[in-house]
Amino acid sequence: MSRDNTRYNIDYFLLFIVLLLGVVSCLSLYTLQDFLPAKLMETKFYLRQIVWYILGAFTIVVMMILDYDRLRKVAWFLYGVGVLSLAGLYVLPETIALELNGARGWYQTPFGTIQPAEFMKVFLIIILAHVITSHNEKRKEPRFLDDIWLLLKITLISIPPIGLVAMQPDLGSAVVFASIVGFLVLVSGIRWRILLLIGALVAALLGMIAGLYLLFPELVNTVLKDTIFAHVFERFEAFFDPNQNADQSGYQINKALLAIGSGQLLGKGLMNIEVYNIPERHSDMIFTVIAEQAGFLGASFVVTLFFLLIYRIIHTALACKDPFGSYLCTGVVGMITYQVIQNIGMSIKLLPITGLPLPFISSGGSSLIAYMMMIGLVLNVKSRTRTYMFDD
Amino acid sequence: MKKKSHLPFRLNVLFFLIFLLFSLLILQLGVVQILTGEEAQRVLDETEETVTSVPVPRGEMYDRNGNIIVENTPKYAITYTPPKHVQPDEKLDVAQKLASYIKKDDGDVTKRDKKDYWILINHEEAYAKLSDEEKAEMDNEEEYYAVLDRITDGELAQLTEADLEVIAVKRELDQAIELTPHIVKNEEVTDTEYATVAEHLSEMPGVNVTTDWERHLPFHPTFSNFVGGLTSHDEGILRDKADFYLTRQYSRNDRVGKSFLEEQYETILSGQKELYRHITDSQNNILGTELVHEGKQGKSLVLTIDMELQKKIDQIVEEELTIAIENHPGKNRFMKDALVVMMNPKTGEVLSITGKRYYRATDEEPAHVKDESYRVVYDAHLPGSAIKGATVLAGFQSGVINKSTTFFDRPIKIAGTPWKSSYDTLRSVNYLSALERSSNVFMYFIAMRMGGDYTYVENAPLDYDSDAFRQMRNYFKQFGLGIETGIDLPYEATGYEGEVYSPGFLMDYAIGQYEPFTALQLAQYISTIANDGYRVKPHLVKEIRESNNNGELGPIYKVMEPEVINRIEMDQEYIDAVQNGLYRVFNGTRGTAAGTFADKPYVAAGKTGTAQNMIYENGQLVEETENLTLVGYAPYDNPEIAFSIIVPNVGVRTRTGINNKIGERILDAYFELNEEKEGEGEEEVDN
Repeated sequence: MSRDNTRYNIDYFLLFIVLLLGVVSCLSLYTLQDFLPAKLMETKFYLRQIVWYILGAFTIVVMMILDYDRLRKVAWFLYGVGVLSLAGLYVLPETIALELNGARGWYQTPFGTIQPAEFMKVFLIIILAHVITSHNEKRKEPRFLDDIWLLLKITLISIPPIGLVAMQPDLGSAVVFASIVGFLVLVSGIRWRILLLIGALVAALLGMIAGLYLLFPELVNTVLKDTIFAHVFERFEAFFDPNQNADQSGYQINKALLAIGSGQLLGKGLMNIEVYNIPERHSDMIFTVIAEQAGFLGASFVVTLFFLLIYRIIHTALACKDPFGSYLCTGVVGMITYQVIQNIGMSIKLLPITGLPLPFISSGGSSLIAYMMMIGLVLNVKSRTRTYMFDD
Repeated sequence: MKKKSHLPFRLNVLFFLIFLLFSLLILQLGVVQILTGEEAQRVLDETEETVTSVPVPRGEMYDRNGNIIVENTPKYAITYTPPKHVQPDEKLDVAQKLASYIKKDDGDVTKRDKKDYWILINHEEAYAKLSDEEKAEMDNEEEYYAVLDRITDGELAQLTEADLEVIAVKRELDQAIELTPHIVKNEEVTDTEYATVAEHLSEMPGVNVTTDWERHLPFHPTFSNFVGGLTSHDEGILRDKADFYLTRQYSRNDRVGKSFLEEQYETILSGQKELYRHITDSQNNILGTELVHEGKQGKSLVLTIDMELQKKIDQIVEEELTIAIENHPGKNRFMKDALVVMMNPKTGEVLSITGKRYYRATDEEPAHVKDESYRVVYDAHLPGSAIKGATVLAGFQSGVINKSTTFFDRPIKIAGTPWKSSYDTLRSVNYLSALERSSNVFMYFIAMRMGGDYTYVENAPLDYDSDAFRQMRNYFKQFGLGIETGIDLPYEATGYEGEVYSPGFLMDYAIGQYEPFTALQLAQYISTIANDGYRVKPHLVKEIRESNNNGELGPIYKVMEPEVINRIEMDQEYIDAVQNGLYRVFNGTRGTAAGTFADKPYVAAGKTGTAQNMIYENGQLVEETENLTLVGYAPYDNPEIAFSIIVPNVGVRTRTGINNKIGERILDAYFELNEEKEGEGEEEVDN
């Protein structure tokens, strides 16, 4: 695209939403601080989060410097770096490649721990957007086989990162990757026929597994025992009957429901936390902090913020005349949508518990920087979209 | 731009889907927060009440003159009061910190404790001992036990001394019941330990420093047997009486009296614990604590014992026992015990209770005498003639003799029994001379007549109604012989009943040669005669007093009044007659104890006894011994002291006369002490 119009078109609305999310995040962590378990008390999470947000702001600026279009040239390189960093977790010694909470997903650096899967999300969005754009550019009138070929390419690109992450095991991130892929496949132009067929196949497969499990629970348990799927099933069992499964996740969901429920319509007010000892409350369970103190109104406000954020990104995708930009935005939407739905959904017992942070709000540096990179990308796309007088 | 035409449409479809999903989120959020929110708040607001108790100091014991026999001495203690639902890793953390501040003996640590701890600190390594297949087959508990089995001694050997201390401390913490203080250490807590733990209390939630009480007996070992013992914290309440304690707000690890007075008066001594009600919310935070029941320190006991007299009697008995044994080491080689009880015959107050056992020199230790006073109520011995007062009264009451009955004392022979005789041929005896001179034959005739045979023919079989045995026993039991005396102790022996009811044995019974009795039973028997036929319960506790906080006796809570169990059936006339006979034993010209007591400033009455007690080893007679006994009371006219003495297994023909010697010295001691006290009393009046 030509860029004779050099006026930067910054989406201040989007930035404002991100800023509000940042405020919600830091405030939540601040109010939670005194209610953390003793071993976490030492760490001032809200201060850390403020620092990460400042770094995040720089990240946005850096991501906006270069035309996003240039990313297509380094897309394969970034993808390679991402996959290698994930593979490195299995190769490098334990002093560098850390195992936390039973998953081998972190690098130890002098500045803290880095979770490569978070950055891989960005790289995956870029490479898929690039591949889909290139594919469509070459075929003005794609045939059926072309669609199949595109699907195959997407699948081949997606398998290495999803597989590597799932093996850590970090199923939560694997599903995030899958949801990015899913959203992009949906908008990639592949015929509805094929998409519906795939959808039907996946639904049938899941239905079969569920049916098997309901009919022969013991058989399924035995077969799945000691595979990563056993863990998945435990989560589902805990989801359906938290009291019978008084393990960590059953306990976690009961406590979370108590905290969120007792927030009621208006909440208990700032610094009024009555439910203690929810595991991972500062990260995966941060939504309980908001819902307990701010009630239904506050919690809905945060949900609405996310919805507006997604709306703004889709808006950018629609406004963008360049398919690559649209695809980038769609990937970001896929990632954020899934994570928000999953994280809040599990807190209110809509979905089984999965270890996933709430974007922009949960404490954690790697993920926040990754989201900020994506926000930077979206703003980049927006800023380089020429607006016409009669447009929009 | 056909190639792109699909994008806006598909993005809009996507957006619509996202909108639906977010709507679902809001909907469910509404369900959770608005529909079920109140219920969640109600669960949160639910409070739980827990009542816990805090022990109070145990009551003390004093003798009748206010000398302290059992007191509480404070000692440092470190306690642990677990919060509600404390997690194992929090406990481990507390244990590790506490173990670093105090020394804790790891003697009680079991192998299982070590293994549990090893798994706790080496969780992954422990579970790596199971193969995947095994894990698939076993449930959590089975897995745990399988891991326990597979821990090797080598792995346990990795545990350091410090680890063992942590285990020992954790053992204590694990025993604690939530919100109830549990003593972690109370033995040998040093000042440094106490101070260090006190400084670091904030690091160890639930831990506290306090003082515990220890029983201290200043007169030990005098009378210590009868004070009895307490269980340790580890032993806790007595298992066979667990329900009794648990319904009375005892905790399982409370120390309770396990023998003698400590057990008998447990509920009085232990006092009432302070009860607190804790209100906790659903998060297990304590919202409030209120005192429900103010504790009451245990009440104190004033005993009937006179410790000054007790000490003197102990000393006398020890001396006489030692002299008798050491003067005749051969003939007296089976002699070891001497038992003495002194009590007020009218009130049943026991003034002293002595049991000494002589231990002969061994390679390890020299000869010594030990206080084993419990034998006074535990050991039964053949009493010999000492019980003849009861036989004569039985004779009177059953009508087989009267005051003018005389028998000719000479060796007699019943068909199928050996010759039976008194120690000498005493010729014509009536009830008085029979008691004075201890005629066996007189007693035999009473027994024969009670059996229905009034005509003795040498070497002829007897007419014999075996019901006479029951009748005779029944008379004896009215004196407390062969039945509980009713003393305020958890246990007392009653002797053994013979199972053969032949006439020969009835005759032996009549002279105290068939069924054994305890020294306490003999004391009650002689007291009953001294007390004009009223059998009074002997008792060790005179008063129960409230405690006040400065460790002195408080106001009287209860006075133990004399308790008459029964009056013997015999007429006063007969009792007077027997008393007269007993007077003559101690004062008559031919009385068997007159040589000892006739010239005393006090007038005493009583009866000597000698029971044959042959020592057989493997069916071979190895030594002829006798149980020497003496029962008596004084002053004769108005008895204030009654006593019984049993010295079993004195060698025959050693002529120790130990029963009379002890009798003389204890009565002397009693009256001397009385005089001293009266002297003091008069001085006080003068002042």
